[in-house]
Order: sequence, then structure tokens, then C-alpha cells
Amino acid sequence: MMQNRNRLGIWLSGCSLVVIPLWGLAQGAGDAERPGPAPAGPAEEAFTSSADPLGSFMWELYRERYLGDAPYVFDSRVRLSAPGFAEDSGQVPLDIDASELGDDFERMLAWVELNPIPLIFDYDPRSHGLPRLSLNVRLEQASPVRVAVQRHGVWHIGSTHIEAEGGGCTTPGIATTESRWEERFGEVAGRRFDHGEQSQLRLRVMHPMDSGLIPSQPAFHIQRFEVLDAGGELISTLAIEASVSENPALGLHMKPLEGGYRVGARDNNGNRFSIAL
Amino acid sequence: MLRHARRGRAGLAAVLALLAPPLLACEPELTPVAPATWVVEGAREEIAADNCGLIANLGVIATGEGVVLIDSGPSRTLGEALEAEIMALTGQPVRWVLNTHHHPDHVFGNQAFANAEVLALAGTAEAMARDAAAFEANLRRLLGEAFAGTRLRLPDRAVAPGRHDFGGYPLELHAFRGHSGADLVIFDAATGVLFAGDLVFHQRTATTPHTPGLQAWIEELDRLEALRYRVMVPGHGPVDHEGAALAQTRDYLAWLDRHFDEQASRGATANQVREAPLPERFAGLALAEYELTRSLSHLYPRYEQRWLWGEAP
Repeated sequence: MMQNRNRLGIWLSGCSLVVIPLWGLAQGAGDAERPGPAPAGPAEEAFTSSADPLGSFMWELYRERYLGDAPYVFDSRVRLSAPGFAEDSGQVPLDIDASELGDDFERMLAWVELNPIPLIFDYDPRSHGLPRLSLNVRLEQASPVRVAVQRHGVWHIGSTHIEAEGGGCTTPGIATTESRWEERFGEVAGRRFDHGEQSQLRLRVMHPMDSGLIPSQPAFHIQRFEVLDAGGELISTLAIEASVSENPALGLHMKPLEGGYRVGARDNNGNRFSIAL
Repeated sequence: MLRHARRGRAGLAAVLALLAPPLLACEPELTPVAPATWVVEGAREEIAADNCGLIANLGVIATGEGVVLIDSGPSRTLGEALEAEIMALTGQPVRWVLNTHHHPDHVFGNQAFANAEVLALAGTAEAMARDAAAFEANLRRLLGEAFAGTRLRLPDRAVAPGRHDFGGYPLELHAFRGHSGADLVIFDAATGVLFAGDLVFHQRTATTPHTPGLQAWIEELDRLEALRYRVMVPGHGPVDHEGAALAQTRDYLAWLDRHFDEQASRGATANQVREAPLPERFAGLALAEYELTRSLSHLYPRYEQRWLWGEAP
């Protein structure tokens, strides 16, 4: 079950010491099928570009790791919304909306290029997931943030850049870091908002989301969320990494469903959490 | 306001400048606001190298037996320049420094006033000790050279609210908490000048990193109004003689509270709230979008707690 932990305030204190070995360790999320290139039609060209709009030297590394040789295009219809700077670098709100691409997509990945654990999530929409979600992420330093949406075999890439530094009065983790995390560990709360053609599921799980990068503090974090229908059928899954903030708060958008939803989560120690929405 | 470098005094000053140590990039300028009372108005900006961190208003009262300085600015260098300026203007040394609250733009000049007693509310001293390392790191990063040699000097003594004599000169001290958890307000009944610290902002958007809550802050503004002041010295922004600064601060905080509450009740994310247009009357305030972004980080989780993670509504 739970580990003995020292709360150190900032999630990745000292983590830069272990950045280099991690490059080689991260799991390959990119064993996707490799369909041929899909040329952009005239209607697409207004939104797409083959050049990285952020001009980041890290782009190629992660393209290779996460997308392999699959065709991709930078696409402004994959919208990322985040503040330009992180007032609290442990809790940076990130909204993603690729609805303009169309609701039929195969997979969505997101990563922070300069985080020691770059991957944020790997989203499989299955039957009901829509290409839209919100969550809070950790930011080790100023970095490009990428979202890749695979649709008809082509990855559509959205990008933004977030500065890591707040203002003069900023104190780390002031609003969020729980020093007595055990007291509320595992509490799940949430609410469903129905917006006609989609249901927005907001939920939060009280969980420290320890990355394992702080010495003497083992990895202890939620690995996977599952959305089920009333009959227990799996309708969407979201795998997450410890780049997601402490006490993960998600906004998932699902196609409407009679009988409501059940969202379950499990962490790397086998704890399970669940809520009906 | 700030004067940048060259002060435009020809002749002798120019020659002396060649002999003197390098000029400070920003010099505090004392503007009279009442008999024996001056204010240094900070830039309506965030702390940055360009403004040397001089963004908060600083108050000066010459008692005849020495000067009461209300907040000391962002750095040792700025504090030293201020001390020289005050001596040149009043002929009196600074004997008392009052810190209105613990934020770095108000307290890092303390170190320069070696012969003065630094006073603050007990809660302010505790918060300064707690956040000293983080604030020093922030200012070193933001100010660079202008912060060189600065360390946080904690208050020498805690003051309690009530009437205090400073060399025979009476000032009323009031304790609030709405902006930072411990906010000292200084009222000079003789001149009618109220030094409100960061409980009041004027033409500059309020900042919220350590507020216990917007409603608590708003309630305290009502108590502040009851003090029947004639001249309002806000923590940031121009001195006000019309009652406009307090009204503007209350209007903004009340809007922020209602807006966050309403947005959270509909499930809006922090980014959706950030992207929504500001009401016209606030959009023109200095740092409007910047402070809204920060307040979303500081406060919006409390409203989400209420509407999303609390008992089912």
C-alpha cells in the first residue's frame, strides 16, 4: 500500500541530476502502425504546417520516441490553452481541444519537452471519448508542451510554450502541496456537466503523484483512468504519468450516455479509486 | 514616480557623478502629499530589472524627532538611495521602519536602515521568516545586479494595533489580514493620510497570492472606509483624494469573487476563465491579465473545491 514519504514541497527537487539516464528509460509510446503519408488537401493547408512553429531542438527526439515514423503535421486545430507563465509550477492548468479536427480520432498523446518525465498522458478514446480534456501538469522549467492527435493514421500536432517562473511574491506550491496527504488520500470527488452533444466529467482524486525522482521517495502515482458505462463496459481510457500534478483533477469529455458514467483509477501500488458521475 | 538614471542637474552634479560610485538605475522620488508627509510612488508594473523592483508605494512622515518610513522598497541599494533622499529633504534620519506586510517589494530595503527600528505585525514577521528564501531567490532572478548584497532583515519588534507615539508624533496602527494574512494600516489623524498598504490598489490590478479570501478582504475595506481619511496612499498606484482607490479595489475584488464563483459553478476550467474577456472597467487597469492569471492560480481552486469537490450541490 502506501509508502513512507517525506514531503519535500516541490515535486522534482534535485531531479535534474537524473535527467540524462531517464532519456533512455522512458517507455516507447510510439509503436504505432505506420501508414503512408497523407497529403494535406487545400482545406487543410490553412491550418497545417510541416515546420515546428516553436522551432524546438527537442521536437525530433520526441517525435521519434512517441510517433515513430508515422506521418505527422503541425495543426492549429489542435488547440492548447495554458497560461503563458506558471504561477505555481506544480499546478499548471492545461486545456486541450481538437474538436475542430473531428470527433473521430484514434489516440491522443501529450508531453512536456523539458520535463524529466516528459509524457503527460496517452488517451485512447475507444467508443465514447471526445478529443477534448483538461488537467493540471507539473513544469520543471520553461518548456514547449505538445499534444499529438492521431486521426486516420496521421498525427496532428498542437503546441504551446509555458514559462516556468512566476512573479516576485510567488512561493512554491503555496496553494496546493499537502503536507498531511495521508488524511485525504484516495478521496474522489466530481461532478458531471451535460452540454447537449457532450458530457463533461470533472473529477479529482487525492493522490500525491510522486514521481520517484526525489531521493528516498519511491514512485507512487496514478497510472490509469478508465471510463465505464452503467453496464461496466469500458468506453475510454487515459494512461497518465507523474507529470500530472498532485491530486489529479481531470476534465473528460464524453459522448452522451444513458445511465451515466463510472470513472475508475488505479495507481502503481495497486490502489483503486472510483466514482459514479 | 520613478526617475531613470540621469537626474538632469547640470554642472557640478555632472562632475561629481564622475567621482561618485555608479548611479542607481532608478531613484526614488519623494512627492509631498500632506504636511511633513511624502510618498514614493512605485511603477505600476511587475518587479523587473527595468524598474529596480520599485513597484510599491513608500511613505515618509517627518516627525521632527526622526522619520517614520512606511515600507522600505525592494533592495538594499534602493533603501540606501531612499535614506539619502530622505535626509536631503527632511534633514532627519529614518528612526522607524514600518513594514505593512511581508511581500518582497515592501521589505527588502529594511537592511539599509541600520540605525532605525524595524516594526511589523507579529504575523508579518512570521511570514517574512517563512518566505524569505523563496522571495530572495525570486528577486535575485528578477532584479539581478539591482538586488546585489541584499538579505532580508526581519523586524526587530512586533507592534500591536493602537495608538503609538513616534518621537511624540502619534500614529494609529490598525491590524488587518485581507491581502496577505497580516496587513498593517497606518493612519495619521493629524493630516488625514491613510497608508493602506496592499489592502488598496489604484489603477493597478490587485494581487492575491496570500489572501485568506476575497470576502474577508472586502469586509475589511468597509472597516477601512470608516476611518474617515482624507488622503489615501494605496500600496500600488497613484495617491487618491477622492475615495476612488478604495471603491475601485472593492469593485474589482467583488467582481473577481462573483466571477470565479459563477464560472466554477458551471464547470469552467481555469483556462476558460482566463480567456474570457475582462469587464471594460478592469481591462484598462495596469497588469489586468497578468494578475487575473495569477489569481486563478491562487484562488480558483477554492471555488472549484466548493462547486466540484464539495458535497453534491
